[in-house]
Amino acid sequence: MNENMPIQPETVEPVKSVGVPMPLVDGPEKVSGKANYTADFIEQDALVGRILRSPVAHAEILSIDTRAAEALPGVEAVVTGIDFAGQFGVLPIARTEWPIAREKVRYRGEPIAAVAAIDVETAQKALDLIEYEYEELPAYFTAQDAMAEDVSPLHEKRPNNVERHVEYDLGEVDKGFEDADLIREGTYDCAEVCQVQTEPHAALAAYDGERDRLTVHASTQVPYYVHLMLEQTLGMPRSRIRVIKPHIGGGFGCRTECLHVELIAAALARACKGTVRIVVSREETFITHRGRPEQKTSLKMGMTKDGRITAVDATTTQRGGAYAGYGTVTILYSGSMIFALYDIQNARYNGYRVLTNTPPCGAFRGHGTVNVRFAFESLMDEMATELGLDPFQVRRKNLLTAPTFTANDLMVNSYGLPECLNIVEKASNWKKRKGKMEPFRGLGVACSHYVSGASKPVNWTGEPHATVNIKLDFDGSLTILTGAPEIGQGSSTILTQCVAEVLGLDVSRIRIVTSDSLVTPKDNGAYSSRVTYMVGNAAIDAATNLKAILTEAAARKLDVQPEDVECLGEIYRAGSQDQGMTFEEVVYAALEGTGTITARGNFDTIPESWGGDKYRGAAIGGTMAFSYAAQVVEISIDPDTADIHVEKVWVAHDCGKALNPLSVEGQIEGSVWMGMGQAMTEETRYHNGLGITGNMLDYRVPTIIESPPIETHIVESNDPHGPFGAKEAGEASLAGFLPALTNAIADALDIRVSELPITPDRLMEIMEDRKREARNADEQKVDA
Amino acid sequence: MELMPNFDLHRPTEVEEAVKLRAETDGALYVAGGTDMIVNVRRGIEQPAALIDLSSVQELQEIVEDNEGLHIGASVTLQTVTNDRRIQAEYTGVAEAAAAVAGPTHQSYGTVGGNLCLDTRCLFYNQSEWWRKSNDYCMKERGDICHVAPGGKRCFAAFSGDVAPTALIHNAEVDLVGPNGRRRVPLTDIYRNDGMNHLAIEPGELLTVLHLPKTEAGQPSAYEKARVRGSIDFPLAGAAVWLKQVDGKVEELRIALTAVNPYPQLVKKLDKFSGTKLDDSALDEIAEMVQSQAKPMRTTTVKPWYRRRVVGAIARRLTAKLSEAR
Repeated sequence: MNENMPIQPETVEPVKSVGVPMPLVDGPEKVSGKANYTADFIEQDALVGRILRSPVAHAEILSIDTRAAEALPGVEAVVTGIDFAGQFGVLPIARTEWPIAREKVRYRGEPIAAVAAIDVETAQKALDLIEYEYEELPAYFTAQDAMAEDVSPLHEKRPNNVERHVEYDLGEVDKGFEDADLIREGTYDCAEVCQVQTEPHAALAAYDGERDRLTVHASTQVPYYVHLMLEQTLGMPRSRIRVIKPHIGGGFGCRTECLHVELIAAALARACKGTVRIVVSREETFITHRGRPEQKTSLKMGMTKDGRITAVDATTTQRGGAYAGYGTVTILYSGSMIFALYDIQNARYNGYRVLTNTPPCGAFRGHGTVNVRFAFESLMDEMATELGLDPFQVRRKNLLTAPTFTANDLMVNSYGLPECLNIVEKASNWKKRKGKMEPFRGLGVACSHYVSGASKPVNWTGEPHATVNIKLDFDGSLTILTGAPEIGQGSSTILTQCVAEVLGLDVSRIRIVTSDSLVTPKDNGAYSSRVTYMVGNAAIDAATNLKAILTEAAARKLDVQPEDVECLGEIYRAGSQDQGMTFEEVVYAALEGTGTITARGNFDTIPESWGGDKYRGAAIGGTMAFSYAAQVVEISIDPDTADIHVEKVWVAHDCGKALNPLSVEGQIEGSVWMGMGQAMTEETRYHNGLGITGNMLDYRVPTIIESPPIETHIVESNDPHGPFGAKEAGEASLAGFLPALTNAIADALDIRVSELPITPDRLMEIMEDRKREARNADEQKVDA
Repeated sequence: MELMPNFDLHRPTEVEEAVKLRAETDGALYVAGGTDMIVNVRRGIEQPAALIDLSSVQELQEIVEDNEGLHIGASVTLQTVTNDRRIQAEYTGVAEAAAAVAGPTHQSYGTVGGNLCLDTRCLFYNQSEWWRKSNDYCMKERGDICHVAPGGKRCFAAFSGDVAPTALIHNAEVDLVGPNGRRRVPLTDIYRNDGMNHLAIEPGELLTVLHLPKTEAGQPSAYEKARVRGSIDFPLAGAAVWLKQVDGKVEELRIALTAVNPYPQLVKKLDKFSGTKLDDSALDEIAEMVQSQAKPMRTTTVKPWYRRRVVGAIARRLTAKLSEAR
């Protein structure tokens, strides 16, 4: 709005922002290449940091000799494990990882030393001069091997290499199976996968020796956790540390915990009292990992003739890698989420998170839920087929009715899944086409869900879940200050829209500053799809508080009561006949006597959302709201090559309310696409613990050629506690793709795929086996 | 990104100058598009003291047509080959192969000569310096053993170029220029079945021209490769087919394979189909012959079993397609 134009109050209306499809507020920088990512901050005096990595998978470190490296001209610092004051780890109960290995290495590629030098050649030469002796220990590359008897434990406190066993038994499972007309079991294997975000990990650390202060730029989703871990591992007061998160090239969960890279850069910077920049390679990014674990799920399900699920019993095992990381949470999520999509009262769960000599896994998009969802929706579909029931019918038979609590006490206030099912059934023309496709073509459906932020934070401090400040000054512009990390998911845009909507202002009046501990309020970070829900609500609260200040100021000037003031965004007036005050005039009035205004807003979860206490760890899964999704996948299969071609995907996602339908659509497409990668092509493999797919040729992320047309539908169930009714939009649509694909394969070939990714070699093997069985059966018939 | 080591860069403008530089410079290598070689340099697989960049040698960038056929300069890009109407019409398989290499960006840099002289590939070889060192290297590079076939004496790294099999089925020849002058040899002569040393080219020799003979032009030919993704991937297995039929019967059938052996190979004993009609049983037999002559090993994450199976299926369906075309 042009500030010099006289405003006609009768034509002024509050500007709508919420529900309006608009480009992301940080779009111009990104599309023009001006956005600075961590690696783009190239200080003139920055030294090059480089990391020496373990060639072996499990060994006791006998000695490390860095003298020759230190003596090399151009080398400014060399650090090893002994230079750190403490261990790190995202869960306060499991801080077991040294930034650089100490005493033991536990996976191939674990850091064992690092150098800072004037250039990369010198840094590499210095690494080559570091000598080390070690004694190898037995190494375990599968969960099964690591859990065997008489193993050599990776960690003393975990003698059988089980990081966490989760167990629960809800309702009457055995009776549930007795009540079933059909009981079936299946085992489902998912390969380990990696996020492969665009930007490899990077950190820039500057240490001010005069003042003993440290500034770290890090490619992270959780600058606050990085702050805490810098304090912990460097033994440095947190007040002397500043953490900045610049633009981020994606995260998808691999950066939801502090990583070695930022800790090592900081240690090197402090050691040489200078500035150190580490940009690791793609291979090192794969080694840093924190992806989704390899997981085996055995599932038993009981069903009545009409499709009602009477009982479920699941056992799942995750190969977690060498350190705990988020592991306990991942195995708990698998357990709390597997049944909670539907109304299931009798459920038994055994989950094992296992330590192995492979890079540590982490919190990949759809954290903990994806692989078990594949198992559940596959078996459910298979049983429906066996009972002669339509897959939609079976899912409808087991729906929840909101508001409710699931059998494991998870709060459900809004449940748009029935509508999601209706939409994709209709859009895909399911009723007319299912079962009537040409040969080698198929249709499959599956559902999925996800949390809108974990209701209990990892670090319980007593502070609100989210805090947002809005600064308003003489110029009439608003600055949102938030620690919420914009990582490409669009959170800065959503927070801007929320503030704009409350105040009725155009978003162009608002700027946003994110994730710099010097100026922005603390935020727990961008993970578990918490930002829109939690920080969005805090932003609404802050804007509401600001609006109250402005309304009071306007009331003073207009000589009326605040409740009589009408806010039209650019005009505040006392009644429809009143000329009113412009926004600028209101701002001047508000600043009188107080000066610059900072309005604060908070958000807290309600205790009902904290999950139950029916088993240890039952709080994991507790959330203010669940998002829901259903999708139909149509495929064709090349009978010669066993290539699967995804013809089309219809997906409906209940995000409560689409605050920005454009970015919601993008998030849904991205989720479907990422699920497609895991289902069809992506897989992290090891050769004796050495990652053999640590590059973008052998780790096969789908290309644009593989990208199918994705028809997205937004369902708005208006969650009672969500910001303008909104819920999660960026994760739930991932998990459904995997079973929807394999269910489509079953439709096309009558083959049930239980191992992912279903690459052409795997599918052809199953197809050939099937042909052979058929031939053998024919021969037997002839013999008979 | 991995460290790019220092090297001297030469940029000659004439073939003779390039060959002379190569002969006179210790540890020098030719580089054309660099899409494969520079990756290997960054990984320390190649550690050249000098690179001789061929991008300024005009002669290598030309396609000349005369009575003998088409003469494609070694530096002609794969993108140019893909879009050349003469190649599309007369040597269809070659254009299809160029279009199947990696992705569009690679095709705009990658060259015909580079693709013909592509290094062989293996999961245990195409890895970083740290990786290979941690795995005790391999017999192809600084080590003693083969991780694909431990105990074996041979290297099974797979030839993974797409253009070579299609050039082979068109009876292509190449020019090689070395310190001792220029020679013209059948393309098939520059390859041998050895993953460590698959190019039978004299040290310092430069492949300058690919000759596609007129006599082979215009017969239907085709190329297809199996891969997990529709772009970027090297072939897991690839087949090129050339077919001449008279009165619905085979006069001559040629099939060449890639990515299933350390060298691109012509399938043997196809002359048995001369004079036969390509019915289902003949096509099945062709598929079986192709499968039995393909010897893929565990050089990729995809199972050798599949690669052998699929190369037969591809050869079969391309042959069927070509037999129906005329």
